[in-house]
Amino acid sequence: MPFYWTLATILGLAALGFFLGRHRAVASVGGERRKLHSLRKYYGINVAMKTLTPALGLLVVWLIAQPVIVEWRVSDLVAGTDVADTRVQTLVMVDVRRVANGLDTAVAAGVLSEADAASLTADSGTIRDTLGDAGVALGSDVSAPVLAAAQRYRTLSARADLTRTVAVLAVALLGLGWSLRETDGDFRARNVVEQGVRGLLIGAACIAILTTLGIVLSLVFNTIEFFRIYPASEFFFSTTWSPSFGGGSQLGILPLLWGTMYISLIALAVAVPIGLLAAIYLSEYASKRVRSVAKPALEILAGIPTIVYGLFALLTVGPMLMKVFGDGGLGWMQAGTAVMTAGLVMGIMLIPFVSSLSDDIINAVPQAMRDGSYGLGATQSETIRHVIIPAALPGIVGAILLAASRAIGETMIVVLGAGAAARISGNPFEAMTTVTAKIVSQLTGDADFSSPEALVAFALGMTLFVLTLGLNVLALYIVRRFREQYE
Amino acid sequence: MYDRTFPENAVTAQDIKIEAKGVNVHYGDTHAIKDVSVDIQDKTVTAFIGPSGCGKSTFLRCFNRMNDTIDSARVTGDIRIDGEDIYDKRVDPVQLRAKVGMVFQKPNPFPKSIYDNVAYGPKIHGLAHTRADLDDIVEKALRRGAIWDEVKDRLQAPGTGLSGGQQQRLCIARAIATEPEVLLMDEPCSALDPIATGQVEELIDELRRDYSVVIVTHSMQQAARVSQKTAFFHLGNLVEYGDTDEIFTNPQDPKTESYITGRIG
Ligand SMILES: Nc1ncnc2c1ncn2[C@@H]1O[C@H](COP(=O)(O)OP(=O)(O)OP(=O)(O)O)[C@@H](O)[C@H]1O
Ligand SMILES: [Mg+2]
Repeated sequence: MPFYWTLATILGLAALGFFLGRHRAVASVGGERRKLHSLRKYYGINVAMKTLTPALGLLVVWLIAQPVIVEWRVSDLVAGTDVADTRVQTLVMVDVRRVANGLDTAVAAGVLSEADAASLTADSGTIRDTLGDAGVALGSDVSAPVLAAAQRYRTLSARADLTRTVAVLAVALLGLGWSLRETDGDFRARNVVEQGVRGLLIGAACIAILTTLGIVLSLVFNTIEFFRIYPASEFFFSTTWSPSFGGGSQLGILPLLWGTMYISLIALAVAVPIGLLAAIYLSEYASKRVRSVAKPALEILAGIPTIVYGLFALLTVGPMLMKVFGDGGLGWMQAGTAVMTAGLVMGIMLIPFVSSLSDDIINAVPQAMRDGSYGLGATQSETIRHVIIPAALPGIVGAILLAASRAIGETMIVVLGAGAAARISGNPFEAMTTVTAKIVSQLTGDADFSSPEALVAFALGMTLFVLTLGLNVLALYIVRRFREQYE
Repeated sequence: MYDRTFPENAVTAQDIKIEAKGVNVHYGDTHAIKDVSVDIQDKTVTAFIGPSGCGKSTFLRCFNRMNDTIDSARVTGDIRIDGEDIYDKRVDPVQLRAKVGMVFQKPNPFPKSIYDNVAYGPKIHGLAHTRADLDDIVEKALRRGAIWDEVKDRLQAPGTGLSGGQQQRLCIARAIATEPEVLLMDEPCSALDPIATGQVEELIDELRRDYSVVIVTHSMQQAARVSQKTAFFHLGNLVEYGDTDEIFTNPQDPKTESYITGRIG
């Protein structure tokens, strides 16, 4: 039975279990529902849950484990042929799987009978053609061990598939029977369902946390790998960034960090004042009508993909700045791509971010604070300056830090707007580049993933991660302290 | 005290501090105050009593135009303080509120130090020229608010860290620090223990020498103790207004009587 049929069957069993459980619970108290411990739907859900969960769990585990075990069982057939190391072994296994799949397809298409497929031998020499007839193209001739392995692979897989179906259905039926047996009027189905819901939520949380952990671990391991082949002191303290794929690269992070900081600073210098003032206007001065239009409009800005901002930087802002600061004007700027271009555009990108966060925070200041201030004869701007901003300040600082960590992590605007030259310079009209942009350029193209030139991307990523994580933690800490103020 | 309790028709115009005529307040479609007219006398404590939701706070907030800060609120009618129409276009509500102080129903200290809470009004209105002046104003206000002894050692501690009753007294101190001519108090004692209540009532009595005080209260005894005039509201209507003694001993309206006796007895 194919996989999705198995799935459909256990879903069907669960649905059946729902109705059976509900019915049985009501029947057990002679139709008097008030005698039931829980609402009757809980009895149904309990049965469905116990039918579905173990079976589904087994199915998932099986699906993950089966290929691993089957490959391990056939590996001794191809071992000793040309297996020099694990890498080649993997390649051979790929061949085995491809041939096995080819045979499957051929059988399904009627080119081969099931018996033929099992009894084919390599020296018949026609495998490639036979499979070609069925639409499976093989790159090279199939060697005898690979064919044998493929055939074993097929039989093992088929047997495992069958066992899987039987086992999963058996577990589902067991769950169904067992949970039906425990169903009676006194059974605390509601509490059990509550536990089930809790388990579900825990599961979701675990998946989220584990994937994060996985990402971090992969970063960490690759970073360690990088530092094994490249000196850490060079990486952190060298002021030269000149990767060359032929070897002898200099991979100092400082110019990249400088570019990142410079661009982020300009972006924040644009976004923070404008965003904050906009937030104050929206939350304190704007009438309901203006607010209902302006707030969504600002939030649309936040929905624009950053690549569009990048285009805007490259095609609009860069040339515009060139007119003023370029050769025709003040002569400070050589090309449209510069720190200033990227910084300005990134600032524009961050305005809605800052303003909508600050707006929420300012709105969270209780109306009673405003009343107190107005009641003492303060004007609106006095109230804002002396009461609202001080009360909201920690939250606003948190918002700014969050914006900063977004600026540091931003990539597309930098790639398109800031240029690609890694340098440390004070002139904001020069092209510079950032950590993120360099990660992109180190990994695009035909990089050998074990060379320091490629692995450096992970070290860069790790540095960035630590930086933004630190900023986020700081921001969250500040925001949380702010929350406690009005208990 | 007795010189303030003449019959209403004997009150001369100069004695009237606030004159409200035909005041209506709407919150959107809710008609919260229905055609209320009241004359509040100077140097008198006037108590507003009535069941919850009858519009006492709403009416009180008309006197310092705090209803302006509520979008849906609409006030019509004529309210004059010292003969001047406070809803006139030329009147600056900010100026008005400096003159008509308010203590709110819920204590609302700013998240600032105790000192800064009290110094807020005087600073804004430039009442103090030197730091010593300001210290003086703050201390005087805190003393009158009956909270000085409790906070004198921690003036720099946040006002939000005080207990509910202390916060309320801090708010009272904050309101009188700006030296208003009229003080509006919305249930100033609802969070206070009997001792602090007694102190605040003493303060109110003392304030009466210079200001006129309007107090909203749910306590009949308090109204009887501190006020010379009492107004009874019911469902947005002013049912009865007169001398406190009169209202409590000889109410004219059966609704007033049942409210007062229901609460007291
Ligand atoms: N901001 C507002 N928006 C809409 N309706 C309001 C608002 N404030 C008060 N109301 C309504 O106006 C009426 C009077 O309210 P108000 O607060 O003046 O009552 P109150 O007499 O002070 O009651 P309490 O003794 O409970 O404080 C109530 O029906 C209330 O629902
Ligand atoms: Mg009230």
